[in-house]
Amino acid sequence: MITARLLQGGGALRWTLLVVGLVVALALPWFVYPPIATDMIAWALFAVALDLLLGYTGLLSFGHAAFWGSSAYATGLVAIHTGMPFYVAVLAGALVAAALAVPIAYLSVRRTGIYFAMVTLAFAQLIYFVANQWRSVTGGENGLQGIPRNLFGLDLSDGFYFYYAALPVILLGLFAAWRIVHSPFGRVIIAIRENPARARALGYSVDRYKILVFVLSAFLAGVAGGVYAIGHGFASLQEVYWTTSGKVVVMTVLGGMGTLWGAVVGAGIIVQLEDYLATAGIDANGIVTGAIFAITVLLFRKGIWGTVAQLLGRRRRDDRDAEPGPVRPATTTEEHADAR
Amino acid sequence: MSKMRKLGALVTSFAVGGTLAACGAGGPGEAGGAITDDKIVLGVITDLSGVYSELAGENAVEAVRMAVEDFQAKHGDDAVTDTIEVISADHQNQPEIANTKAREMYDREGADAIFDVPTSSAALAVAGVAEQNQKLFFDIGAGTTELTGAQCNPYTYHYGYDTYMLAQGTGTTVTEQGSENWYIIYPDYAFGQDMNKSFVNAVEGAGGTVVQSDATPFPNDNFSTFMTKAPGLDPKPDVLGTMQAGGDLVNVVKQYNEFGLREKGIDLAVGLMFETDIASIGVEPLAGTLFTTAWFWNLDDRSREWADKFKERTGSRPTFDHAANYSAATQYLEAVQRAETDDADAVNEELNGLEFDDFFARNATLREGDHNLEHDSYLVEVKQPDEVEEDFDFTKLVETIPAAEAFMPVEDSGCEMG
Repeated sequence: MITARLLQGGGALRWTLLVVGLVVALALPWFVYPPIATDMIAWALFAVALDLLLGYTGLLSFGHAAFWGSSAYATGLVAIHTGMPFYVAVLAGALVAAALAVPIAYLSVRRTGIYFAMVTLAFAQLIYFVANQWRSVTGGENGLQGIPRNLFGLDLSDGFYFYYAALPVILLGLFAAWRIVHSPFGRVIIAIRENPARARALGYSVDRYKILVFVLSAFLAGVAGGVYAIGHGFASLQEVYWTTSGKVVVMTVLGGMGTLWGAVVGAGIIVQLEDYLATAGIDANGIVTGAIFAITVLLFRKGIWGTVAQLLGRRRRDDRDAEPGPVRPATTTEEHADAR
Repeated sequence: MSKMRKLGALVTSFAVGGTLAACGAGGPGEAGGAITDDKIVLGVITDLSGVYSELAGENAVEAVRMAVEDFQAKHGDDAVTDTIEVISADHQNQPEIANTKAREMYDREGADAIFDVPTSSAALAVAGVAEQNQKLFFDIGAGTTELTGAQCNPYTYHYGYDTYMLAQGTGTTVTEQGSENWYIIYPDYAFGQDMNKSFVNAVEGAGGTVVQSDATPFPNDNFSTFMTKAPGLDPKPDVLGTMQAGGDLVNVVKQYNEFGLREKGIDLAVGLMFETDIASIGVEPLAGTLFTTAWFWNLDDRSREWADKFKERTGSRPTFDHAANYSAATQYLEAVQRAETDDADAVNEELNGLEFDDFFARNATLREGDHNLEHDSYLVEVKQPDEVEEDFDFTKLVETIPAAEAFMPVEDSGCEMG
C-alpha cells in the first residue's frame, strides 16, 4: 500500500501527505457545513475500521452496522442517563460494540468469503430486530432522541465547535488503526489475507488473529458510531440497518481497499454526495451514487485513492529511474505491494 | 520558504473566513419587529424519492408554493414582505439527513419554519433541532403521538393527524355503529404497537370487545394464519382491523379477499390509508373498507375548489398531506402578517391557541397545551368500483368526527411545554 511504500521510500511524501491531511481535517468545517464535516470524519473512521477487516485481513463484513449502531445507542443511553462528558459516553459505546463483537467474531471467522459476509449480515439483522423491539430502551422506530453533548459544561450546541471537540477522538481512532496496520500484528493479518494456510503453517493461530482484528475493528466502528450519535443528538434504527453496513463497504471500496487513506477519501465523497443530492432536486440519488460506484469499480480497480497512490508512486519511480544508480529489480514486487 | 508563506496566508484566510461566517450567522431571533433579511423562507423537508414521495413528496412542496402565491395575491402590497422563498430537501426517510438538513435550513438558509417531514424518527429529530434553534416546525407527514407527548416542545406543532386520531375515529365510530367484536392484527414495531393500543382503548371505550389482537412479523408476505383464524374466534369478530401499511397492507387486503372474509360477515377496517394506497391496491378489493382520514378532496365544495386548483397545477388530486401543508403554510404566513415579524416567539404567540377554520382544518384549534392541531376528522368508506367517477375519487363520507372528540385530550398527552 501507499503507506508501506512511503515507509521504505522518501519520508518527505509521507510527511507532506500527513500534514496535508491534518490541515484538511482542521480546516474542514470552514469549507463544509460543520455538521456534515462531523459526519464525514465519523464515517471516515467507520470506513477505516472496516478497512482493517476488508482491506487488510481480507474479510468482507456485511454487518458492521451492528457495531456502529449498538455503540450509537449505548453512547446515547450513557450520555442521557449519566450526563458524563461525551468522551466517556463514546468510550462506553465502543466497549459495548467490542464486547458484542467477541461472540459474533468467534462464530463468524469459522467461515470465509461470501459465507462470512452472510453470517455477519445475519448477526447484524439480529441486532436490528433487538433494537426495533426493545422499545423501552431504544425507542423503536422513533429512535433514541435527545442525546446531549456534555463536555464539562462547555456549550457545544454549535456544530462548528462540536467538530473540534470530536476531531481528537476520531484522530486517535485513525492513529490506532495506523498503528495496528504497521505493527507486527498488522504484518500477520496481511499474511493471513495473502495465504492463510501458510500463516497457519508458520505457527500463527489464524482464527485468533481474525477474532482480534474483528474486535478491534468493531471497537473503532463503535467510536465512530458514538461520535455520530452525539453529533446528531439521536440514534435511530437507520444506524443498525443493513443499508448502513452497505454504505460503509461502498465507501471503503470506492476510496480503495487496504489503504486507510482510501477509506477516508471514500467516506468524504459519499457523505458529501448524499448531502448534495438531498437538495439537488434529482429524485434519483441511489442511481447517481450507484453509477459513480460502478464506474469507479470498473475503471479504477484500486479505488480512487489506490489509483492516485499508484500514479504518485509511478512518478517517484520515474524520477528515480532517471538517476544513475543500481538497476532496481523488476516491478512485479512493487505491483504486488501496491495491491496491498 | 515561499511555500511556508503561502501556507500561512492560507491558514490566515481560513481563520478570517471562519470568523466572518460565524459573525454572519448571528444569534437566534432578535425580537421586536422586522423580517430577518427582509424575506421569509419556508423549508419543506420531505421524501422526494422513496416510499412516501407519492403521498407527500414534490407535491407537498408544490402545496406550500401555492400557499405562498395565494398569500401574496391576497395581501399584495400590504404583505409583511415581498420576498417569500420556498426551499426543499429530500430526507430519503433517514432521520440523520432530516436532522442535518433542518439544521442547515435554520442556520444557513434562513428558514423561518419547516414543514411536512414524514417518518416518525425523522420528525422527532427535526423537532429537536427546532427546539434548539428556537424556530418553528410544523410536522404533517409523521403520525407519532410522541411529537405532542413526552417529546413535545414550544416550537413544534403537529398538524393534521396522529395515531390516536386514526384509532379513535375508526375504532369508536365503527363500534358504535354496531360492529362490536374486533380482531386486530398489527405489525410488530412502534407504529403498529401504538395503533393497536389506541384501537383497543377506543373499541373498549365505545363498549365493544377486542376478541384478540395479534402482532404480525414485519415485513410479512403471508397473513394466511391470521385469515384462517379470524372466522373461528369466539365470539366471531364483526371487523378485522389491520394496522399494516404500505406493502404489507396490500398483502393483507389481497388475502382478506382470497379467504372471502367479507362473505363470512367480517368487515375490514384499516388503520392508516391514503388515496395513493387505494390507487395502488385498486378500488375493487378495498370496496367497503373503513378508515379515518384527516381530510379528503371530495369532501365538499370548499375542498373540491382547492383540489381543482391543485390538479390544474400538479396534474393529480391532493392527499390530506398536501392539503395540510398548504393549510399550515397559510396559517403560518397569516400569523407572521399579524405579528409583523418573523421572530419565532412573536409568531408563536399568534399561533398558540389559535382558533380558525379553513378548507382543510374545520373547527380547528392549535392547542396551547400540546401544540396538536385539533380539527374535524372523517370516517370514510372506500367506494364501490361503479361509484368511482374519476381517478382518486375513492372515498365517501360515513361520519364526521367532531374536533373535540377526534384527538387525544390535552391532559392525557403527557406533554409538558418547557
